[in-house]
Amino acid sequence: MIKAISLAIALMMPGMAMAANNVSLSSDVFVERKVAKPNGTTALILEQPTTVTPGDKLVFVVNYKNVGSAPATDFSVTNPLPKAVAFNGTSDGTEIVSIDGGKNWGPLADLTYLSGNGNVRPALLTDVTHVKWTFNRALSAGSGGKLVFRGTVK
Amino acid sequence: MTSILKLLVATSTISVAALGANPAFAADLGTDAGTSITNTVSVAYSVGGTGQTAETDSDVFVVDRKVNLVVAKSDAVNTSVAPSATQQAVTYTVSNQTNDTIDVLLSSEQLATDNFDVTGTITYYLDDGTTAGVFDGSDTLITYIDNLAEDSSVTVHAVANIPAGVVTGNMADVILIGQAAAHGGSGLPATGIGVQGTAFSDDSGDADDAGQVQNVFADAAGSGSSDGAGDGYHSATDTYEVAAADITVTKTSNVLWDPVNGTTNPKAIPGAIVEYCIAVANATGSAPATGVAISDTIPANLAYYSSLATGPATVPSVIGVVTEGSVTGSTCNADGTGTGAQAAGVVSGNLGTVAAGVTETLIFRVTVE
Repeated sequence: MIKAISLAIALMMPGMAMAANNVSLSSDVFVERKVAKPNGTTALILEQPTTVTPGDKLVFVVNYKNVGSAPATDFSVTNPLPKAVAFNGTSDGTEIVSIDGGKNWGPLADLTYLSGNGNVRPALLTDVTHVKWTFNRALSAGSGGKLVFRGTVK
Repeated sequence: MTSILKLLVATSTISVAALGANPAFAADLGTDAGTSITNTVSVAYSVGGTGQTAETDSDVFVVDRKVNLVVAKSDAVNTSVAPSATQQAVTYTVSNQTNDTIDVLLSSEQLATDNFDVTGTITYYLDDGTTAGVFDGSDTLITYIDNLAEDSSVTVHAVANIPAGVVTGNMADVILIGQAAAHGGSGLPATGIGVQGTAFSDDSGDADDAGQVQNVFADAAGSGSSDGAGDGYHSATDTYEVAAADITVTKTSNVLWDPVNGTTNPKAIPGAIVEYCIAVANATGSAPATGVAISDTIPANLAYYSSLATGPATVPSVIGVVTEGSVTGSTCNADGTGTGAQAAGVVSGNLGTVAAGVTETLIFRVTVE
């Protein structure tokens, strides 16, 4: 579950259009690699994506924070998948996805894929084009969090 | 990719059949080297009831080149050759498993662990498919494989000469070594057709650069003596095997008749008629001997028997030069069906092809002068 914000002080500033930078957003991509440790085990480390080849596992981290002074309501974060990346799930499992370029959304388990010849099958991870998290509570001023999802380079 | 959604409240469970935008699997092996991966995230929210959006880009990085090529022996059998044969080929397939078009630089190696080495410079030919997998006159002489596309493969012949003095069963191993190289063009997607590129260097140990396409070597170790995994080379061995024709020639003579004794215990006195049999035997297990031609000079004091003699019965008939007869044990049979010739004291005839395990003969008669 998204880290719920406990105090929701709804400050309603009537009619005030806040500057568009209330929420700061940053996105990082890491490559996950296995390294052999001296004691013989292998560890998974995350490193900067400087050398990336097909088949590599990527970890995308989105950091968000409400840097304004008013709570942000109806909060959602949308991440289209880059074309060369196949979606591999999120760490929290609360996301909804789209397999048709962002027109229709839902949990992956509820989506079906209509292929060109009329066959319908359940949607797969590889069909996903967009990932979105929607928050059902307001993000209060000063709070933030992190969303993580994984992908594989096609 | 504009995702300015004012938003759906969290996860309603609606079953949606969406028309697939992407096919499930890309046909090729991997994302092409040089493809940029840019991640864009956007956020939508409301403050005080007014919708807002914010957007950010992540770091851009490029997909690097995963270098892998496979050289393999193209068929299960060795190439059968005769001693002193020239321009004999062993055949390999070279396949490109890199996520980019590459050139393949070719070289070869002969080990000391086999029976002999081929001679002359080993040259390479690209099979053009006219007789697929077989070296023929329409294949092209190359020094490197130009622009081998990702996920594709070609057939290459390594051609060399066989030395004399080798015997049936001797083998020579030739290892074809391919080295992955740039396709020779500059920038992307220029392809450098006809331009030999520089061999890739392994960037795994270098300082990393997200914006440049770097090389990661993912090849396996091949059969070459210095070919290890992850070095940008791959190699495979194919073998020449000698199948010589093992020919033995035996010449025998037999007095058939003389003017005094006729055919009863004839002796080699002047006027006697002698029959020569030249037997060519090809040992079992050899290669067939083709174009076998015989030439024999009639010794002094003998004359070619060309007209019927007179004397006691039974005067041997004039048979000329008879070829392609058989033998029974050590006796030459009178069953030849071919004809040779005699001119100026030299007898000649063709036996054509003598197969393994077969003996064929050339027979002629002379008179003792």
